[in-house]
Amino acid sequence: MKEMLTINNLTKSFGKKTVLKGIDFKISEGEIVGLVGANGAGKTTIMKSILGLASYQAGEITIDGKMVSTTSHQALEEVGALIEYPGIYPFLSGYDHLKLFSENNTKEELDEIVADLHMTDYINRKAKSYSLGMKQKLGIALALLNRPRLIILDEPMNGLDPQATRDVRELVLKLSKKGTSFLISSHILGELEKIVDHFIILNKGKIIQAMSVEELNAGHSHYVMLTTTDNEKAKEVLTAAKYELQVDRSVKIKMSENADLANIIQVLYDNKIQINDVRHQENDMEESLLNLLDQKDGGKA
Amino acid sequence: MLTLVKQETFKLLKKKSTPIISILLTIFIFGVAIISKMNPKIFGAKDLFVGGFGATFFIVMIMVASASTIVAMESQFGTIKDLLYRKYSRGAVLSSKWLTVFIYSIYLNVLVIVASIVAKVIFLPDLSFAEKVGNQMIIGALTTSLAGNFVNLWLIISLVLLLASAFNSSGASIAAGIGFYFLTSILSGIQILVITKWDWVKWNPLNMMNLSNQLSAGKTFEALTHLTTNQLIWGNLGYTAVFLFLGYLVFKRKNV
Repeated sequence: MKEMLTINNLTKSFGKKTVLKGIDFKISEGEIVGLVGANGAGKTTIMKSILGLASYQAGEITIDGKMVSTTSHQALEEVGALIEYPGIYPFLSGYDHLKLFSENNTKEELDEIVADLHMTDYINRKAKSYSLGMKQKLGIALALLNRPRLIILDEPMNGLDPQATRDVRELVLKLSKKGTSFLISSHILGELEKIVDHFIILNKGKIIQAMSVEELNAGHSHYVMLTTTDNEKAKEVLTAAKYELQVDRSVKIKMSENADLANIIQVLYDNKIQINDVRHQENDMEESLLNLLDQKDGGKA
Repeated sequence: MLTLVKQETFKLLKKKSTPIISILLTIFIFGVAIISKMNPKIFGAKDLFVGGFGATFFIVMIMVASASTIVAMESQFGTIKDLLYRKYSRGAVLSSKWLTVFIYSIYLNVLVIVASIVAKVIFLPDLSFAEKVGNQMIIGALTTSLAGNFVNLWLIISLVLLLASAFNSSGASIAAGIGFYFLTSILSGIQILVITKWDWVKWNPLNMMNLSNQLSAGKTFEALTHLTTNQLIWGNLGYTAVFLFLGYLVFKRKNV
């Protein structure tokens, strides 16, 4: 597939502090990429660099083959964005905002954006009366103007209610199917998981992992949690039997090919320990990601 | 660029204050004309007409506020990123704002001329258009006076635009613009003394603000400013260009 965005060795410093360290990634036409990382990892700085809002010391950013920098903006003709928080003129209505920034959309297209985001009820009201979620939706609507081929959304789900979150998700998927590429950052990984093709995981200005949703999910673990008549003794005997135990009040055993529940029960039975309760636990994507960040951080949280 | 100017004009026209200002300015001019009609000995119709019925002062205040707001509001409302990430350069974005302010300043001056003529026709029919001030007819004198004020106005506006680019709120630039305007009157006496002692001080920007007075008073004012009218015009334009250029440099380096 055709590459829409290419970032090569992007490096940026603020004074002596290097905030982006050789960032490399690509987004193809119609692909949705999630940018994930802790606060201060460099997500917004990358997005601002792509949008020609922030300068960088080294590297290259191209959109559809055309270079982007603070002084070279031509390639941004095909880009829409919502960065940090939506900028809203309080004296304009929502629809005035759309008319203001739309350069080539028909009225029907504007109405379609409004309908897709369920903004019809308040689009003609002055934006100063909007709630946080309404402003956020207007910010997203503005990013969709002028039929962009690449859309950059920084924390788009901020302040949105569940219905609005679903509206945005469906809109992103609909546009992606038509060939629009997306770069989306979010702290709500569960939301990103539902729409992105790939994750780029950032930590302290570096990409520590680029992987598909399936690959990140593969890091999931399955645990069995037992409550027994003597948990401490159960932990001792299971550890001695080479099972991998997690720190927990109950007896939490990481399941693997070698860890079979029947064998675990047998070990406990042999040691005269009765099982009072058995529960299963899956760790989710968030935990997988935190584990990944933890590993790359040398075990420090 | 045309798209950007259209966008800036759209925002300006959508502000409630824009039509209200035009209406208030017209009412003010009509009001002063009525007062002149009622008290012709105290408020001479000819002098008032030539001075645009005192509306030039309000043009300065309105334009200082508008110029400051048009730049600073983008940072204030967080819309600066939406303007700057698009295909246009920062220079084009800023120039479109300058151009919109320029168009607005022309509009307000034309409004004052038209409203002054209408006020004269309705309320001061005894004042003839054929009357002269110096060797100019009154409409010519009104236009000359407004033209001088316009050049001075742009010196102030350029300073305001520079400060509005530097700060994220309009307050500081509005205060500086108004302060600069009043400083001219406050320091005029001292300035004359200082210029007499050190001739080079005549090139300071406050002295440039005497252009409209010199255009009205003619040669007599030259003795105070130590500059010819042409020198004052070029001085004003030079300072305006410098302030605009500095504003551009600040805007270009602005962190968003």
